[in-house]
Amino acid sequence: MLKKLVVLLLLCMLLTTSVYAQEALNFASTQMVPAAEQLFAKSVLLKGFTDDSGINVEFIPMEYPDLFTRLTAEVFAKKVTISLIGELHGGLDLMNTNGLLDDLSGITLPDRTFIKSLADYSILGDKKIYVPWMQATFVMAINKKAFQYLPEGLKIEDITGASAKWTYEALLNWSKKLNEEFKVPKLGFPMGPKGLWHRFLHGSIYPSFTGYQAAAFDSVRAVQLWEYLKELRPYIHPSSSVWESMDEPLLKEEVLIAWDHTARIKNAVIEKPEDFAIVPCPRGPQGRGYITVAVGLAIPTGAPQRDNAVKLIDYLTSPAIQVKMLENIGFFPTIQEAEGVIPEGALKVLTNGVLTQSGAPDSIISMIPSLGAKAGEFSAAYRDAFTRIVVEGADINTTITSLADKLRAIFKEIGVPLV
Amino acid sequence: MISLSQKKGNWLPYLLFLPALLYLAGFVGYPLVKTFQLVFTSEKGDIGLANFITLTQDPIFWKALKNTLYLLIVIVPLQVILAFLLALFVNSRFKGYMIVLYIICIPLALSDVSAALMSYNIFSSHGFLNKILINSGLIETPFYFFGLGLSSRSFWVVVLTELWRATPLVFVILLAGLQVISKEYFEAADVFGFSSWQKFFHITLPLTMPSLQSALLIRTLFAFQIFGVVWLLSGRDIPVLAGEVYYQQAELSNFRIAATYGFIIALICILISWIYLTFLKTKHLEV
Repeated sequence: MLKKLVVLLLLCMLLTTSVYAQEALNFASTQMVPAAEQLFAKSVLLKGFTDDSGINVEFIPMEYPDLFTRLTAEVFAKKVTISLIGELHGGLDLMNTNGLLDDLSGITLPDRTFIKSLADYSILGDKKIYVPWMQATFVMAINKKAFQYLPEGLKIEDITGASAKWTYEALLNWSKKLNEEFKVPKLGFPMGPKGLWHRFLHGSIYPSFTGYQAAAFDSVRAVQLWEYLKELRPYIHPSSSVWESMDEPLLKEEVLIAWDHTARIKNAVIEKPEDFAIVPCPRGPQGRGYITVAVGLAIPTGAPQRDNAVKLIDYLTSPAIQVKMLENIGFFPTIQEAEGVIPEGALKVLTNGVLTQSGAPDSIISMIPSLGAKAGEFSAAYRDAFTRIVVEGADINTTITSLADKLRAIFKEIGVPLV
Repeated sequence: MISLSQKKGNWLPYLLFLPALLYLAGFVGYPLVKTFQLVFTSEKGDIGLANFITLTQDPIFWKALKNTLYLLIVIVPLQVILAFLLALFVNSRFKGYMIVLYIICIPLALSDVSAALMSYNIFSSHGFLNKILINSGLIETPFYFFGLGLSSRSFWVVVLTELWRATPLVFVILLAGLQVISKEYFEAADVFGFSSWQKFFHITLPLTMPSLQSALLIRTLFAFQIFGVVWLLSGRDIPVLAGEVYYQQAELSNFRIAATYGFIIALICILISWIYLTFLKTKHLEV
């Protein structure tokens, strides 16, 4: 009798385990790793999906190297257990190069329009390697008082709507006018040691003037860029060199125009949503360069429960969920429909700016190059160039030629193509 | 024959300091060995002075060394003079001197970061000082004490902040030195008709030399660690040695160069300590 009971129990356990294993969909993500975000992912985001669809999801937060190693082993052993991956563009690109990702071209997600620039970046060659899930970016924050001092020929709509008139030249003229009016520079950048000033240099202004982040570092167009920055320099607030984020200087009205990461401007907008407008970065001769941190959802080659993974992608890219992620983890939507769902207030102000920028037809999206341990040296090269040329007055050609060699050596050493 | 309890007694002292020894070996000894390894190993794994060559070829190193020495030369003498004057003043034990003592010592409780932030709020373009100057009609637009391309002004703000923040430490050491001088020396001096200056040069100064030596040594060594105040008030506009250690380690992940910077700071500190201990030896204590 006892033997029978033990066998029965074992059978029950095996059955339960196998049923559970079949039902649980493994979602590995390098995003939402901090404890509070994990809690949100498990108890709010994915719980909602399970409640709606009846599909259990196992959320597996992982660091990129671990995910890459595990996925490589699973794909080559043809025993894939991960059904869905949430990762940054750069990481997914590398996984795709190693043959780890499925083509998602056949997937149709009704009732949503993905932002074109992001959708374009998710296609490599003929293969759609991921569905854009969320994004973070760098934008400009404008205190609405500054709109009273626009230079001739520039309208508010040009700036907020990312028209061709919203250029670096226009920014210079505007800063000059503000300087004349207030007798102090009113344009600010986070140039402090922990500020993200280098991201402006390599991700915004370099692509806008040269079309590339580093590939044309010492080109003739780059010389024009440095001459422009030298001209802009007197209108940049001197305290910029100690600012690490622009929310405080904006709130104190030390500056009226600022550039920074959305997360570092957010507090100013949340505190005074009526006072600020979030607008796209200006454009240069080659287009409107800006950095986007794009996060995508990808399905591994030979992944189990592919249909359920598609259902999860559908759920995670739906307008309501996109807004929920914005509210909880500060990442912006990748679909245009989300704009209509966001409640009025600070988040709406921020999202409008972000979506207008990512929807601008002249966008040159810069993805931060994956340079590993050399990332610091890469950033330092741009900062050094600014200090030497603009602050200390060194010769442009000599400086950028010597630093370009350094940059090329970094890319060569890491084995990443020059961007 | 040694009994078991005797054996136990022999081992007991070693057992008692074993935890401290293990702690030091783990948290000081091991990192020190690893630092030496980093300093003398090149990126390719060769043992030698490659990191020193890379470091000295970088103009930032020389700037950082120059700035650190400038700050040291300006701050330390000023602090010692100021602290000595304050210590003499408080030691005169006037009515209510304890309140003055507490006020002078307030900055001792502040970290360098807090002091720098307070300084920022005073000297920034929107700070208290500029507000006072603008509201009183002395200036129309803010005066920039630090910022882009204004490193010479930032330098003096750093000096002022450091003076305010770290002078109390020197003051406390010197005051302690002054308080142990026996009154009998001064009574004897009065009998011989010494003037106040004579009393200062022949009694006060020689007898506070041990304290002065400690204060100078501590302040000089601390000056080589100056980092937080400079970092917050001028960013990397004024590179300093300790700041470069942090920058190379945390921002550039360049562990070898960071370790080499640290090694050079340690060498300079050892050299300065030796100079102080050799040349400022207080002769009267050798009797």
